[in-house]
Amino acid sequence: MFIEALHEIWKTSGFMALTWQHVVMIIVACVLIYLAIVKKFEPLLLLPIAFGVLLANLPLAGLMAEPASASEAGGLLYYLYLGVKKGIYPSLIFLGIGAMTDFGPLIARPSSLLLGAGAQFGICIAFVVAVALGFAPEEAASIAIIGGADGPTAIFLTTRLAPELLPAIAIAAYSYMALIPMIQPPIMKALTTKKEREIEMSQLREVSKLEKICFPIVVTIVCVLLLPSVAPLIGMLMLGNLFRESGVVERLSNTAQNALINIVTIFLGVTVGATAVAENFLRPETLKIIGLGLMAFIFSTVGGLLLGKLMCWLTKGKINPLIGSAGVSAVPMAARVAQIEGQKANPANFLLMHAMGPNVAGVIGSAVAAGILLSLFG
Amino acid sequence: MTVWEGILVAIFCISMVFFVLIGLSLLIKGFSFILGIFSSQMKQDTTPVPAQSETVLENELSLGILKLKDVDEPTAAMIMAIVSDESGIPLSELCFKSIKLLRQD
Repeated sequence: MFIEALHEIWKTSGFMALTWQHVVMIIVACVLIYLAIVKKFEPLLLLPIAFGVLLANLPLAGLMAEPASASEAGGLLYYLYLGVKKGIYPSLIFLGIGAMTDFGPLIARPSSLLLGAGAQFGICIAFVVAVALGFAPEEAASIAIIGGADGPTAIFLTTRLAPELLPAIAIAAYSYMALIPMIQPPIMKALTTKKEREIEMSQLREVSKLEKICFPIVVTIVCVLLLPSVAPLIGMLMLGNLFRESGVVERLSNTAQNALINIVTIFLGVTVGATAVAENFLRPETLKIIGLGLMAFIFSTVGGLLLGKLMCWLTKGKINPLIGSAGVSAVPMAARVAQIEGQKANPANFLLMHAMGPNVAGVIGSAVAAGILLSLFG
Repeated sequence: MTVWEGILVAIFCISMVFFVLIGLSLLIKGFSFILGIFSSQMKQDTTPVPAQSETVLENELSLGILKLKDVDEPTAAMIMAIVSDESGIPLSELCFKSIKLLRQD
């Protein structure tokens, strides 16, 4: 009887249902966990994503299972995933980002917005190449948005246009964001001269509190009236920023930039990872998406740098073109890379605050690009 | 969708991004300008006319006397500017008491 019971447990265990695809996905999950913990590649998101991949590929666990009937309960992650499916988590993450972001450098130098626009160039290139490779326009738009280097925006757009591609796109987007310090410097060196990298920029003017308060209100009115589809992202981003700048709701601001964003990051990461089941993920398309994502990222950096060079020329050398590369969102890592490269060329160079302008402009730029693509294909 | 159509969509998309962000930058410039005028007017209205001469005003704004030891004025100015830039605190809000050269003997 005891042996029979053991046999029964073995027969109903996940081990019996394990396929080679599951094993591959478990290995992928372990590699991602390794990259997050040991290499510290965007660990705040990569770790929950990787663990979500692991959970979803353990057979019979049914964590992502839909409820079989109205009276039965579905899997835990199935319910948490509704926040991704309905676009709730990316918008809440934007609320937290808004509460953490100082738009002062952007207000002090509004021309930074041009650099943020230039750094969306990769989205367009990747879209054309994805169409040429045979992806449907909705899929191509979702893949191309990786070039915006903005994880929540990529997830928001993909859940609406091509949800079946979500795991590959989310993993590619966050992996490339983590790899910015490796991807961008060679492109920066290739496209700029040492003389350009050495340029010291004059100190930004001080921005008044009134300007900082008016900024989120004005941006919300203009952007949402122009592109209503972008309202969840821009609206939440600017609401978070208004919490921060108004100075009258410190508790809400603190919650948005700490507890709320952390909770949502856990839910978002685990559930996005849990969509990476073997049948969806182990396809040739995944490799294509990863390749196209890298290309989008590279061309976005190129676009920002070229526009930076143009502005450098137009201002007769007052703008260091390196800050253009920070136009890809990835706040604040892209700005830090610009600072490091600038200081390598000229140790007296302090580009961080100057690069923060294009950096936060990139967040707005990628949200606007997502809104346009959603209007076209949604 | 053909590749040509894809190229047209891409051009439209990037043009729209530029259009929106250029519009925003002009708007920011515009409202910064208006708010600048507004706040300077507010200052003029609220600031009482000083009864004393300008030197008194300068003394009021002074953040203390800076002692320089073996440091020339341009170097001291540069150090203060670097500290202000690195810390993100405007010079008007920083108070330097002394700057002295440290020698390694």
